[in-house]
Amino acid sequence: MTPQGHRPSQDTVNRTELLARVDDHEMLCELIVIFKEDFPQLLLSLQQAVAREDMKNVEAASHALKGMLRMLSVTQAAVTASRLEWMGREGKTPGMAGALTLLENQVADLLPELDTYTVKAKP
Amino acid sequence: MKILIADDDRMSRRLIEKTLEREGYEVIAVDNGRLALQQLSLSDGPRMALLDWMMPELDGPGVCREVRKQHDRPYIHIVLVTSRGSKQDVVAGLEAGADDYLTKPWDAAELTARLRVGQRILQLEDRLVEARETMRFKATHDPLTSLFNRGSIVDLLARELKRTRREKGSTVVMLGDLDHFKSVNDTYGHVVGDEVLREVARRLMASIRSYDFVGRYGGEEFLIVLNNCDATEAVARAQEVRNKVASHPVQTIRGPLQITLSLGVLASPDWDLHLVEEILGQADSALYQAKADGRNCVRLAKPTPVHDVPARLVK
Repeated sequence: MTPQGHRPSQDTVNRTELLARVDDHEMLCELIVIFKEDFPQLLLSLQQAVAREDMKNVEAASHALKGMLRMLSVTQAAVTASRLEWMGREGKTPGMAGALTLLENQVADLLPELDTYTVKAKP
Repeated sequence: MKILIADDDRMSRRLIEKTLEREGYEVIAVDNGRLALQQLSLSDGPRMALLDWMMPELDGPGVCREVRKQHDRPYIHIVLVTSRGSKQDVVAGLEAGADDYLTKPWDAAELTARLRVGQRILQLEDRLVEARETMRFKATHDPLTSLFNRGSIVDLLARELKRTRREKGSTVVMLGDLDHFKSVNDTYGHVVGDEVLREVARRLMASIRSYDFVGRYGGEEFLIVLNNCDATEAVARAQEVRNKVASHPVQTIRGPLQITLSLGVLASPDWDLHLVEEILGQADSALYQAKADGRNCVRLAKPTPVHDVPARLVK
């Protein structure tokens, strides 16, 4: 497990995997736009659910985040979201706040990085 | 081909939508299980569906279970798409009624290949249904005229009589026989005789309402069952049928032939206590009377007093 507070030095997105899955630049840009619209709200929902120890919503928000992160091959963060989903489903509160911090750190640079994809892929 | 995508994740939904549109599918996308079920319940709804497992209102397995309760519409091929990949989840999904299972993040080539498998299964099912319907038609219809065959028209009559008694309504029974048909066969041959039978069948069909029934009862005998037909109209309706047959000559390979029909008619309320066989017997007697009275005419059966009916025929 990556220590809490760790900031990844390399790219957050698994570029090879992402471009293999979404080989259409226009589609990739569209997905990134959707991600940028939905992700902050979902992360906020998760943060609030964790703060309230509202396990049902921890599970639901983590599940949704996991799907979006996997879609864009944000592999490490998706693993953390999956762990939070499991905690929510099983009602495991110990370690939940730490897992959320880890997720926050893993995605801290994500949005700017995704912007580079839309620029990089342009002809 | 129409395909339904149900996923509350906008990114996933959009990517699948785009991928399938490229493959030529007509995509319907919804974001919850209730809307998915609505689409899959439509008579002209999609025959293929990609359902996310976790969705608001009704989850993917829930949609599967509801769809599988519907037995009155063609089979729907359902693929569950989800990040839940444990064996237990796969089994639960398939047990709920899914046909296939894809784990997120899915691979476009695998997704389209699996959908092609689904299409092949649906095509096979369509061919089987078509074959079954063809066999059912052959088993219940006369091959020459395409009217109901004897067994079917008698069954339909029995069913209508039961309904009529239950609802205290009226069913009119007409037994018709082509006049001098033997001489048509003897003079012009059976090919011409068959032409005549086919044309008479067409005219009979044209003379009844969409909810009435006509069947070929015997060689040149036809049984007509008029549902919800008032007994007072029975003779008038029979005259219309007779006129339709005699209205103009039948065109055959041997030239035009004037064909007429004699009819014995019976209205069910007059014979409420009788079995189907007895009703047909009385219609046949009226038909015999029509023949005796010079043919090309209609005769109404006269009710037998109840005390004259054999005990075995009284319900």
